[in-house]
Amino acid sequence: MSYFLNAIRTELNAIKLAGGWKASFYRILRETNLRTGSLVGTDKYGNKYFENNAYFMSRNRFVVYPYVDRFDFDASQVPAEWHRWLHYVTDHPPTIVPPEERKFLQPHETNKTGTKLEYVPYSTTRPKIEEWQPPRTIDEPNTWIYPASCQLCTDLL
Amino acid sequence: MFCQTQHYATAPAPERIEVFVNDKSLLVDPGITVLQACAMAGVEIPRFCYHDRLSVAGNCRMCLVEVERSIKPVASCAMPVMKGMKIKTDSPMTRKAREGVMEFLLVNHPLDCPICDQGGECDLQDQSMAFGSDRSRFVDNRFSGKRAVEDKNVGPLVKTIMTRCIHCTRCIRFASEVAGVDDLGTTGRGSDMQVGTYVEKMFKSELSGNVVDLCPVGALTSKPYAFTARPWELRKTDSVDVMDAVGSNIVVNTRSGEVMRILPRMNEDINEEWISDKTRYSYDGLKRQRLTKPMVKDDKGNLTPCTWEEALVEVAQKLTQANGNEVAAVAGGFADAESLVAMKDLLNKFDSEGLYTEEGFPSDGSGTDFRSSYIMNSTIAGIEDADVLLIVGANPRYEAPLVNARIRKGWMHNDLQVGLVGTEVDLSYNYEHLGDTAATLKEIASGKHAFSKVLANAERPMILVGNTILQGHEGAAVHEVVADMSHKLKSSKKVEKDWKVLNVLHRVASQVAALDIGYKPGVNKMTEKPKLLFLLGADAGLVKREDLPKDCFVVYQGHHGDQGAHMADVILPGAAYTEKTATYVNTEGRAQQTRRAVTPPVYARDDWKIIRALSEGSKAQSLKQPLQPSILELKDFYMTDSISRASQTMAKCVNAVQTMK
Repeated sequence: MSYFLNAIRTELNAIKLAGGWKASFYRILRETNLRTGSLVGTDKYGNKYFENNAYFMSRNRFVVYPYVDRFDFDASQVPAEWHRWLHYVTDHPPTIVPPEERKFLQPHETNKTGTKLEYVPYSTTRPKIEEWQPPRTIDEPNTWIYPASCQLCTDLL
Repeated sequence: MFCQTQHYATAPAPERIEVFVNDKSLLVDPGITVLQACAMAGVEIPRFCYHDRLSVAGNCRMCLVEVERSIKPVASCAMPVMKGMKIKTDSPMTRKAREGVMEFLLVNHPLDCPICDQGGECDLQDQSMAFGSDRSRFVDNRFSGKRAVEDKNVGPLVKTIMTRCIHCTRCIRFASEVAGVDDLGTTGRGSDMQVGTYVEKMFKSELSGNVVDLCPVGALTSKPYAFTARPWELRKTDSVDVMDAVGSNIVVNTRSGEVMRILPRMNEDINEEWISDKTRYSYDGLKRQRLTKPMVKDDKGNLTPCTWEEALVEVAQKLTQANGNEVAAVAGGFADAESLVAMKDLLNKFDSEGLYTEEGFPSDGSGTDFRSSYIMNSTIAGIEDADVLLIVGANPRYEAPLVNARIRKGWMHNDLQVGLVGTEVDLSYNYEHLGDTAATLKEIASGKHAFSKVLANAERPMILVGNTILQGHEGAAVHEVVADMSHKLKSSKKVEKDWKVLNVLHRVASQVAALDIGYKPGVNKMTEKPKLLFLLGADAGLVKREDLPKDCFVVYQGHHGDQGAHMADVILPGAAYTEKTATYVNTEGRAQQTRRAVTPPVYARDDWKIIRALSEGSKAQSLKQPLQPSILELKDFYMTDSISRASQTMAKCVNAVQTMK
């Protein structure tokens, strides 16, 4: 009996930690589980990193994204220094051992797929036909030049 | 066609003589060469310097054959046949001679076939495979090297790699005999011989590109085509040229949807095997300044790309709203017969007869009612038979280079006497300059001029009038004088009955077809004040925005963004001549077809299809009437003619239908 009561208490506590019934509902909807743990640190994006060694290895470290939009989260939002802790490359989180500053390190970027900044492959061959550009009576940028998005093509031409 | 009018003064045919080619008996005309006799027997003799249309040089020695009772092998291209001659084309002596000649040629020919543009269509490659020795004795590669000759810069069309030259002198003979320019020649002798222009200068000829085809090796190649394609990668499409009104036959060579080069196609009646440089080298213009998407003007007055549907609906609405006398069409020089017909049908449906060509022609008198008054009646091949030619206000050398090449051929081989009325120009042959103005022409016509006698004594006189003169303001007068003169000459007793005298030399490819179809020549004769103007490839700049009513809606259909597109409200992108199967009628009135070699770029389409699609969206006024049968109701049925109207029974029926509901 007390086993069940303990389980319910743990769950209720988890709901409370997650921020209430509604927040818990969305957490389960997004991540299919509701884990609790002690906060290890927060990065510049607002991702929160938790550790709970009651879970077995590979589930005991996890990240809770800030969820700007309802489903706007992606594994690439984890910066490199937290990635290495999250994936057991090291046991020292960057809050304890800060990453070494190196001038060649690029600032972390998330995956741009699905956004306007995504990479789109383009042809590098020279177009066989050169089009006529109609004269502009009103001065405005010509928006429909042949490879509009292709800098390489315009360079070649 | 022409063969009926071909009359040479024929002496009784000389007796044919018998020769033996590889022991096969053959009867041939005396005077032909051994090489020609062998060709008749079906044996091809290898050759480099010999060419059908050029004089015999006999300097390459590749055509050596054994002739019985001759100590040495003879050069078959220069040796006339003799009675009972026994020619052996495959004897050990012949073969040894060929292998020897080939070995000498290859000693001084670079082994750069892998980077040579002639590779794959090289006579030297082919003949060294077929007739050369199967092994080489050349071992000097690393020691002293082969003969090397400096390249010559002869202009932007012909690339020279003179080390490859085997001194066949075909190019020199072509330049002096066919093109009529003595720019090319040789210097030095033996292994120091060089073909060139003596001093560095351009090979200034409108036919210069033909030396590229003539060159049996890769010494003269096409500069624009250099290193772009190999002959075995190219897809060849037989077509017709539209750069001038001659309609030269061409082969369009394409690779992966791109025109790589244009070569001539043999047609004895038109271009023989030559083409002009504009025909051959202007193909890169097909890849630039192209109209590829339909465009309409947006609210700011800028032409912006749109879908076909938007453009067609826009035009169709204007067409439906306009009255018949407010619609006109102007056809330019590249319009094909199919789209001309489609355009005429469309406008006629809207009760419009406003169909004009950009190029003019006098419409006084019978105008273009008779086909013979606006075509080149005695044909291009007929020039060779003429004995006197009067050129009026034309420069055939640049308006129709291949007509000029024919005139030159007649001048060289048939003593054609040429007179010119008009601006004195270099026609590449000697002619008598008679005067600058039409006044001289009148003098000739009246018989006061010295040349009138020459014409009157001619058996096959020709008068060649340039259309430039005919569309000028004196055009009608010139045409009248010329037509009168031609009529007089034709009715003279000396001239054979079916010989035609009057010839008009047109400048653009579409003109004869347009006149045949019924277009009115000349935009200056437009009577309509158009609210809707179709420009069917009209790019000569004769139609100007300021001459049109202010509310005129201009539709340009064509393939290049030129003068017509600049003044258009809607642009319908059409296909160029390499991109459509279309009919063109040349200045002789010969209908020929271009073939689609590549597809029109992006959204451009066949011209006649565009016009047909347009007709779908626009409703002609006549279509607004309901399709009503004559009898709709029963009461109208009973009385329709005199008998039924007289019938009382029928009258009762009508009454009954109306009263008994």
